[in-house]
Amino acid sequence: MTALRALIRKELLVLFGAPMAYVALTLVVLVTALIFFDHLRIYNQTLFLFASSNMGGFESDTVPDYINLRDTVFFPVMETMGITLIGLIPLVTMRVFAEERARGTDELLMTTALTPGQIVFAKFAVTYLFVTIMMVASFVYPAMAIIEGGIGAQHLASVFVGLTLHSIALASIGLACSAYTSNQLVAAVAGWAVGFVLWDFSWITSFSFVGERTIGFLDAISLHLRYGSFAEGIVNLAHLVYFIALAALAAAIARFSFDWRRVAG
Amino acid sequence: MPGLALCGFIALGFAAGAYYATGTFATFSKLNAVVGALALGVSAARAFGRVRGAGSPAFRGVLARGALSIALVLGAGVALERLADASQLQWDWSFERRFELSDGSRSRLAELCGRASATLYADEYDPRARSSRLLLRTMAATDCLPFTEQNLSDSAEAEDRFGIGSSNTVVIEVGDRFETVGRPTEGTLYEALSRLSLPDSHLLYVTRGAGEGNLSRSDGSGFSGLREALLTEGFRLRDLVAAAAEEIPEDADAVLLLAPERPLPATAVAALSAYLDRGGRLVIFLEPGADSGLEPLLSEWGITSPDELVIDPASGPVAGAAIGTGPLAFQYGSHPIAAGLDSGRMTFFPGVRTFKLHKPRPEDRMETIVYSSGRAWLSPDLDAVRRSRPPERPADAREDYFPLVVAARYPRGDIETRIVAFGDVQLASNQYLRALYNLDLVLNALHWAADRISPGTRPKVVAVSGRLQLPLPLQNTLTMFQGIGLLLPELLLVAGALFWARSRV
Repeated sequence: MTALRALIRKELLVLFGAPMAYVALTLVVLVTALIFFDHLRIYNQTLFLFASSNMGGFESDTVPDYINLRDTVFFPVMETMGITLIGLIPLVTMRVFAEERARGTDELLMTTALTPGQIVFAKFAVTYLFVTIMMVASFVYPAMAIIEGGIGAQHLASVFVGLTLHSIALASIGLACSAYTSNQLVAAVAGWAVGFVLWDFSWITSFSFVGERTIGFLDAISLHLRYGSFAEGIVNLAHLVYFIALAALAAAIARFSFDWRRVAG
Repeated sequence: MPGLALCGFIALGFAAGAYYATGTFATFSKLNAVVGALALGVSAARAFGRVRGAGSPAFRGVLARGALSIALVLGAGVALERLADASQLQWDWSFERRFELSDGSRSRLAELCGRASATLYADEYDPRARSSRLLLRTMAATDCLPFTEQNLSDSAEAEDRFGIGSSNTVVIEVGDRFETVGRPTEGTLYEALSRLSLPDSHLLYVTRGAGEGNLSRSDGSGFSGLREALLTEGFRLRDLVAAAAEEIPEDADAVLLLAPERPLPATAVAALSAYLDRGGRLVIFLEPGADSGLEPLLSEWGITSPDELVIDPASGPVAGAAIGTGPLAFQYGSHPIAAGLDSGRMTFFPGVRTFKLHKPRPEDRMETIVYSSGRAWLSPDLDAVRRSRPPERPADAREDYFPLVVAARYPRGDIETRIVAFGDVQLASNQYLRALYNLDLVLNALHWAADRISPGTRPKVVAVSGRLQLPLPLQNTLTMFQGIGLLLPELLLVAGALFWARSRV
């Protein structure tokens, strides 16, 4: 237990002691601020345009159904953030295992009392903590704006849960990729590629030879559909389980990398 | 080796791209797919063959154990996800509880519980059917409206019988009666359920002949929308010609006056007075600047209405009018008429006068249903509502929460007289009836006056956003971005720089 605590402390120090973590945090916060405020600005302008004298005020049907916070702000912000995170999260996860392998410190780690499972747990937990902090920091603006407006705190919470789970899923994928290489660039690109492929399979419906069952299966494993329901304000138990299962699977794959390396070199 | 794998990926990419671009899986695509798959396969096999110790029993054991643990996690994850999916457990945290039924729909479903069933007729690949299906499933979850689905192409007989015009049509049946809904939304289904539930019909007399709002007129200033809504809610409407009204018929459940422009004849006023004396129910809409001739009668019942315009600067410029002349009301009294209305469910009064209340008798109950904001004041300039410039504010103007809609009950022995008075009639016109929550307010008032239980908040029928969502004025948004939106990233970078500098020491 002491060794596990020491490893977690070391991981935290490595992560938060490096300027790269703060650069990544700053980037995410800045990108969220830009995306969110731009959409909020457009929403405000559109709403006031429809409410203005030129458009006939609040006459029946003059404020279309799609002019609302959900469709005009949260949906597009979630979509853009979802794709942006696919590129950003692997930058955080790329070094976690790959750096240890490149420096050879992973073999030192194996000589401690720690099991591979504990090593994987410590690295995943610290990365999840960092990703959660990243999401909390990036949610300062939406939270302030929406709470100031007096509406939608629960919907905001749903969006936050969705984005955090999406980030944790991407971090899990990135960590699993990082566990199989000593090259940080390869880890980042692989994490990005897997995340990008898993993001959305709707394009595959254009292939006529792909059957309904295959499309249904691919829809079920795609991140986009699961994550999208949180933007709608729906917190679905099946979607929560999906993200947790994805994280557990990635952890199992990362754990297997230790055995693989032991026998395959 | 990486070169071969890379070539495989490129070939597969071109195979998919060519298919996606041309829509056909032609020779080029097929050839690339085969070459790509082969290259990847060979590359993978050769890579595996080069793994040190691949053939040893130790390797096979480790590989098997690892693969088994991954398979177990995957299997457990899939099983749990399927279980969670089957439980259909979810929480609706959305604005307006979009995925929950309104009070009105629940009330109508309860009335028809066990008697109604719904069928969705849709083409196999009609994407619109998805939301209709979700909506019907939500209604079916109340155990009051079971629903089935039929392929439209297999339902020629039903098409003729129910008059189905297109895919994505819902038919609700109650015994031999049915309603066909062409564009199913919660609002249109609610209306169909209302027509089928036919609550005890109440007779509403509507005065005419003194310049009142016209229930037959369908343009923006007409009131045909109100007529339709009243019929949907189960009211029967009958005209009461003011000039000939010497007595209000005994069968009247309530009398509705839509802002007479000219004073009602003395005989009509006397008839209404006698009607109220015997426990009548009156819903009257007044209009700033219009003398209905009923003001003295209302005064006898403790309701006076100074002919002044309520200016509420908190509402800003709405519907092309000057700032404050069209109050957006969001403060309501605790009363059945305001049931379901709250600060997020506003009502809009395009030009409104206020009321003063004084009880004729101690046992009477007089209440304000809708208030202006506390920044409102009264202006004698009644034409201000038609100008784009706000009226001059008198130096002695008093700011207050002015009543915009009032309701009163007058128990007199075994009978009870009820009066509801609105300071504006335009909110019930076709132009504004379905704006915000005006319809709910007006119908609740008529239900209460006629001593009926209102079904509660109604689903929106037209495509107007339920809640008016004004998160922040534009200027505040920009200020917030410049103030906090840039401050937090700056602080984070400073923290990073400090850590970095400290780690170098």
